[in-house]
Amino acid sequence: MIEAQLLNGVALGSILALVALGLTIIFGLLGFVNFAHGALFMIGAYAGWVVYTQTNSFLLGIATAIVFTFVVGLVIERVLIRFYYKRPPEDQILVTFGLGIVLVESVRGIFGGKTQLVSTPNWGAGAVQILDLIYPAYRLQVVGIVALTLLVMWLILFKTRIGLIVRAGIDDALIVNILGINVNRTFMLVFALGAAVAGLSGIIDAPILAVYPDMGTGVLVQSFVVVVIGGVGSFWGAILGGLVAGEIVSITTAFAPDFGQVMLYVAMALVLIMRPQGLLGVEGRT
Amino acid sequence: MRLGPVGDRSGWWVEAAIAVFLVVFPTVMAALGAGPDLATRILILGLFGLGVDLIFGFTGLLSFGQAAFFGSGGFITGYLLIHNIVNNSLGALAIGTIGAAIFGVVIGELALRQTGVYFAMLTLAFGELFYFLDLSPLRNYTGSENGMPGVPKPTVPLGFTTLDFTSNLGTYVFVAILYFFGFVIARRIVRSPFGAVLRAILENPERAAAVGHDVRRYKLVVFTIAAAYAGLAGGLLGMFQGYMPYEALSIDQSGEIIVMTVIGGPGTLIGPLVGAGIWTYLRQELQNIDVIASIWKLILGLVFILLVTGFRRGIVGGVVTLVERRKRGVPR
Repeated sequence: MIEAQLLNGVALGSILALVALGLTIIFGLLGFVNFAHGALFMIGAYAGWVVYTQTNSFLLGIATAIVFTFVVGLVIERVLIRFYYKRPPEDQILVTFGLGIVLVESVRGIFGGKTQLVSTPNWGAGAVQILDLIYPAYRLQVVGIVALTLLVMWLILFKTRIGLIVRAGIDDALIVNILGINVNRTFMLVFALGAAVAGLSGIIDAPILAVYPDMGTGVLVQSFVVVVIGGVGSFWGAILGGLVAGEIVSITTAFAPDFGQVMLYVAMALVLIMRPQGLLGVEGRT
Repeated sequence: MRLGPVGDRSGWWVEAAIAVFLVVFPTVMAALGAGPDLATRILILGLFGLGVDLIFGFTGLLSFGQAAFFGSGGFITGYLLIHNIVNNSLGALAIGTIGAAIFGVVIGELALRQTGVYFAMLTLAFGELFYFLDLSPLRNYTGSENGMPGVPKPTVPLGFTTLDFTSNLGTYVFVAILYFFGFVIARRIVRSPFGAVLRAILENPERAAAVGHDVRRYKLVVFTIAAAYAGLAGGLLGMFQGYMPYEALSIDQSGEIIVMTVIGGPGTLIGPLVGAGIWTYLRQELQNIDVIASIWKLILGLVFILLVTGFRRGIVGGVVTLVERRKRGVPR
C-alpha cells in the first residue's frame, strides 16, 4: 500500500517537475512567470488528444502536442510577450494571465466544456508486477518519458551552444547582446521550448487526468509550489521540488486523505519561512 | 509605465455622486431589464474590488489570493447566522470581516516577505490552501462542494424593533449602505498621509524605504484592510444569495476580481465597480448559451490584454483623463 503511494508520488512528482521546468527556464531567462503556462499544458493535451483519437497512435499525439505548443509559443512570443520584457512584473503577470483566459475560452468555444476521458495507450495498458506490488504500467512509463525529456533538456541547456547562450543570457542578457549574439531570437526559442515542455506534460498527463478546458489551473498552481520549494531558476530545483511535492501529496493522502493538497501548501509555507530561496535556489537571486 | 491614481483632487462631490448613483442604480438596472438582484451582486463585487484596488491600484501589490478572504469572511458570517450564534446580521458581518482580516495578517506576513512575481505566486498558493481546506478538512462546517445553504437575509435587531432587509430591494439597500461606507473609508485612506505613503510605495518602493518608511509594515496594513473588504463582501454574498458557494474560494474568483479591477480602472476606487458591472451584466445576459458563454469571456480576455498593454488605468482612468484634458484645454 505505502509502496504504491510512493510510486504514485514519483509519477505525480515527475509530471510536476516537467511542468515546473518549463516555467523555470522561461522565468530564468526572460525574467517573468508565465501565468499562461497551465493553459499551454491544456492546449498540448487537447492537440495530442485530437490526433490520438483520429489516428489511434499516442506517440503521434505526443509529437503533435510538442510541435503544436512550440508553434503556439512562438506566435505568442512574437505577437505579445516580446513587448513585455521591459514592463514591470505585475504587467507581465497580468498579460499572461489574460492570455491564459483567452486560450482556455478559445478551447471551450471549440470543444465545449465537457470532460473527455483519454484512454491509456495500448502499450501502456495493463499492470506490471514489481516484487509483490502490482502497479499500472502507464504511470511507470510516464516517469520514463519525463526522465528522457529531462535528459534531453539537460543536454540542450548544458551541452549545446544555444544552451550556453541561454545560461549566459540568464546571467546577463545585455553583455551577451554586446558580444554580437542575437538574444532576441534566443528569447523566442526559449519561450517556445518552455511552451512545448508544458504541452508535452499535458498530453502525457491526459490519460491520468482526463482532458477539460480548466485542466491547467491546478497544475499551474502546483508547479508554482514546486518552483518555490525547489528554488526559482534552478534546473535541479525543479526536479527535486517536483518529487518532493509529489511525495508530500501521495504520502499525506495515504494517511489523511483530506489533507493531501493542504499539506503541499503547508510545506511551501515552511520552506518559505526557513529557506526563502528554495531548497536548491541561489541566495540573492531575484 | 505606472501612472498616479486619479480623482484625488476633487472634494466631497465624489461621495455625493456615489450616493446619488446608489439611489438610482436599481432603477437604471430595471431599465436595462434586470432586477435589483443584479445591482446587489455588482455592489458586492465592487466592495470586494475596493480592497483589491487599495492593494493593487494604489500600492502595486498584485495578489491572486483574495478569494481566500472573500470566502472565509463569507463562511464565518454564514456559519454564525445559520447556527444562531449571532442573530444580528451586522454583528455576524463584523466578526466575519475581522476573521478575514486576521487571515490577512497571517498570509500577508508570509507572502509579503517576497515581492513582485513571488508575491503573486505565493498569494495564489495560499488561496489554494484555503480552497482545499474548505473542500476537505473543514467540510463538516462548510459543506464542501455543496456549499453552505440557508444563510438568512439581513436583519438588524435593535432591541425595541428589528430592521428588516429581507426583500430583494431591502437587501440592495443594506448592501448599498455598506458599500457607501466602504467607499468613503477607502477614499479617506487613499487621501490620508497613510495613502500618500502607499502611493510612494507604488511609484518606487526603494525610495519609499530610503526616506525611512517601513515599507513592509505599510504593505501589511493595507493588505489586511483589503482582506477585511473581501471578508465583508463575502459575508454579504452569502446573505444575498441565501447560500455560500465553495467557488467563492476558488482561483477563478481571485482572477475575476483582478480582471474586473483592471478593466474598470485600478487606482480609481470606482473602477472595480464599473468592471464588476460590465462583467456581471454580460455574464447574466449570456451565460445560458453554452458557446456564447465562452465567447463573451474570450472577448473580455482580449479587452483585458489590450487594456494591460495600452491603457493601465482602465475604463474609468480613460474617462477621467479625457475630462481632465478637456478642462485644461491642452492636449498632453
